[in-house]
Amino acid sequence: MLFPLIGLILGILAGLVFPINIPLSYAPYASIAVLAALDSVFGGLRAMGEGHFNVNIFITGFFSNALLAGFLAFLGDKLGIPIYMAAIFAFGVRIFQNLAIIRRHMLDRLFKRN
Amino acid sequence: MNNKFKGQILIAIVCFVLGLMLVAQFRSTQKSGSAMTSLQRIQELTTQLKTVIDERERLRTEVSDLRKRLNEYENSAANISQVTEAMKKELEKARMVAGLVEGTGPGIIITLDDSNVPKQPGEDPNLFLIHDEDILKVVNELFAAGAEAVSVNGQRIIATTEIRCVGPTIMVNSVRMAPPFVIQAIGNPENLESSMKMRGGIIESLEVFGIQVTIKKHDKIIMPAYEGPVRFQYFEPVKAGE
Repeated sequence: MLFPLIGLILGILAGLVFPINIPLSYAPYASIAVLAALDSVFGGLRAMGEGHFNVNIFITGFFSNALLAGFLAFLGDKLGIPIYMAAIFAFGVRIFQNLAIIRRHMLDRLFKRN
Repeated sequence: MNNKFKGQILIAIVCFVLGLMLVAQFRSTQKSGSAMTSLQRIQELTTQLKTVIDERERLRTEVSDLRKRLNEYENSAANISQVTEAMKKELEKARMVAGLVEGTGPGIIITLDDSNVPKQPGEDPNLFLIHDEDILKVVNELFAAGAEAVSVNGQRIIATTEIRCVGPTIMVNSVRMAPPFVIQAIGNPENLESSMKMRGGIIESLEVFGIQVTIKKHDKIIMPAYEGPVRFQYFEPVKAGE
């Protein structure tokens, strides 16, 4: 549990130190990509709680989800279809579902130990 | 154990990327938040400006149309009798006083442009620009020296003309203009020129700040007529003998 936290903190620090600027026109797609990445991470946490966590699935899922989500939002914009709305809805719902499941696993573990 | 350790490292890398993305996203939304709204505002204002400009063009053609019609009426009326003929002459004179007639005559042309003196740090840049007051003073001086008609950048100075700062531009007869300013005056060229070049006069005080002034005497200046609307909403003339 320690390594991911360290990685996250390092990433935030690196982001603060090196000014990475997303061009204004790509900002909406980047936001979808961030949402997808968050979803992947929560999905990974849930899988860990359920005990069938697979590193390879997690990592490929993280990158492909983020890239695909950004690309789909971009494509939707070009075609005039608000795909990003569907993405926000789908990822948002899943993030909260995963959060609930993670909470349940944590509670289970806590009470079993006691 | 080794496998698990490797997995942890990989997850850490993923979290690292996530952190980077989060910060970049946070930055871009903070920056673009205000820019997005201002972009919208710009579009809004642009469309507003466009409609107003169209409206103004329309009104301008209407004014010239009405002027033409008025002229026709006068001419047809003048044919009827000698009384109307005399009245027409009187009207012509009144028009000349009001500045509604285009005309020519000898006079001077003054060109004013912003200073080209390199600005020193710490100096007020306003000192090196032409202000409404400068133009106002020049025009005033010209009238004082006996100018019979004055125009600024093609805008005839009449009784109700304003000369006023509007942001970085100067408005004359509700027309915005920017430097260089060409001021034409009809009158005795010698008198007008010497009134400008008077010691301690307006030109001298402008040249202190490096404002570029050129004065040219001219035998034949074409003085434009006032083209804007003439409207009296509150003023009512008192009839003679009442």
